[in-house]
Order: sequence, then structure tokens, then C-alpha cells
Amino acid sequence: MNENKLKQLFESARMETAPAPPPEFAADVLRAVHREPPTKLNGRFSIFDQLNLLFPRIALAAAAVVILCVTADFGLTAAGVPDLGDGMLQISAQWLLTPNGF
Amino acid sequence: MSDDDEWLERIRSGATDDFAEIVRRHQSRVFAILHRYERDAHRVEDLAQETFLKAWRALAQFDGRAPFEHWISRIAVRTALDHLRKEKRRQNEVALPELGEDALDWLRSGEEKSELDSRSTAEILELAMRELSPADRVVITMQELEGCSVKEIAAATGASGIAVRVRAMRAREKLKRALEKLAKK
Repeated sequence: MNENKLKQLFESARMETAPAPPPEFAADVLRAVHREPPTKLNGRFSIFDQLNLLFPRIALAAAAVVILCVTADFGLTAAGVPDLGDGMLQISAQWLLTPNGF
Repeated sequence: MSDDDEWLERIRSGATDDFAEIVRRHQSRVFAILHRYERDAHRVEDLAQETFLKAWRALAQFDGRAPFEHWISRIAVRTALDHLRKEKRRQNEVALPELGEDALDWLRSGEEKSELDSRSTAEILELAMRELSPADRVVITMQELEGCSVKEIAAATGASGIAVRVRAMRAREKLKRALEKLAKK
């Protein structure tokens, strides 16, 4: 297949005319539009609309953070690393609630 | 402010029925685009309706920076691309149509100037294009049949300019090979 024949094929295809839309086409589309659930058309989204749109992602991200924290807590506890609560207890025992304290 | 913008403003203010006017203004363009990818007139009509419904659902996202015609054309191209992907999956189950005598004569003849009628063109292109991936088909159709620029194709398909250039070049070669294969059958 040479380049000129390919060009001839494209040229012939370019001249083809598309079928005309039927006269009731716009009315059919409008009927379909009326069957659609209500759509926000004006493009002005409130903060709640935007949060609503983002909700699945925010919920997933929050769940991932909670799972990560719980796993880390279990992991660190199992490894014997003192957690933040232990540290606070130690500080209060040493400095705040002993006879040496205030 | 263009005429389309005025109608769109009215639709956004609640005059839903005015969407029919927007459809009337752009339906020929949408039909012309979709006809490049689907020969069956009823299916073209279904795809055109799908295109306008997608536009309706996304109307809030149309910011008016580009003409409405460009926006609806992009939606039509993406609808066609989705359609081609579905068809590609179905293609293996359907028998290929046969090429007519005239189409075969043209393919096998060595001369470039031999006659090529519109029916033969459609038959040849339909069969040869089946060898391309949907994305290749969209790029070659937009470039060669609709005369779109690389920038326009990139905007419609969401690909980069370089990706469009490379795809167009490869698609052209694939199409040539598909036509040679058809001629040998």
C-alpha cells in the first residue's frame, strides 16, 4: 500500500456525509434529561457540596490513619518501647507528685 | 459573551427546556463526529444522546473559557472511544463482513487514480480500522478525516502532544499493513 493510495482513501472518506439527526432528536434528549436525577447546573458549590463529593476519599484516608496508629501502637507495645503515656507517668512520678515536687 | 453562553446561562437559571436549543445547535457536529466511528445510524443516534446526557450531567463543570462546541466535541470523542473499546471486546465473537468486488479491485490495483466510491471507502476503512486499537483509531480519524491539529487531538484525548504524534505515526503504519493484508485476502 503506497502513501498516495492511503491519501486517496482518506480523501474519499472525508467527503462522506454523516446521517442527519432525526427531527425529534432534541426533544428525545430533553425527555431523557427530565428522567435524570436533579443536577447542580450553576457550578457554585458550597463547602458542604465539596465535602460531600470528597466524603468517600476523606473517610478512607481517616480509616487508614486510624488503622496505622492502632497497628503502630500494638507494634511498639509488643516491642517493649515505652509509649507516650508511660513517659508522662514517669515525669509526673519523678517531678510533680513526689515529696521533692511542689 | 457568545450566543451559546446566553442559552447556557438561562439553563443554569432553571430554564431546563432550553437545553433542547443547545442540542439543536450542536447535534449535526456531534453526529458527524460519531459517524466516523460507527456506521449504524441507530447506534450513532444512541451515542449522540449519550453525549448530550454526559454534557448535561457535567454542565456545572463547563467554565466557558473555550467555546461550547469544542467542549461537546471532546465529550463526543470520548463517548466514541468508550464505544470502540466495548466493540473491540465484542469483535472476536462477530464474523467479519466481506469486502465488495469494487473495494477489492481498488485495493489490488496498482494505480492511484482508479475510482473509489463512498461505499467501498466505508467498507475498506471499517475493516482496516478494526486492526487498530481504539486509541489509535481515534487519533488517525481525528487527524486524517477531521483535519484536527495535534493540539486538538491532545485536548480531546487527554494525551500529550508528543504521545499523539507518536501514536499517529504508528497508527498510520499499522493501517497500511492492515490494508495490505486485506488486499492479499
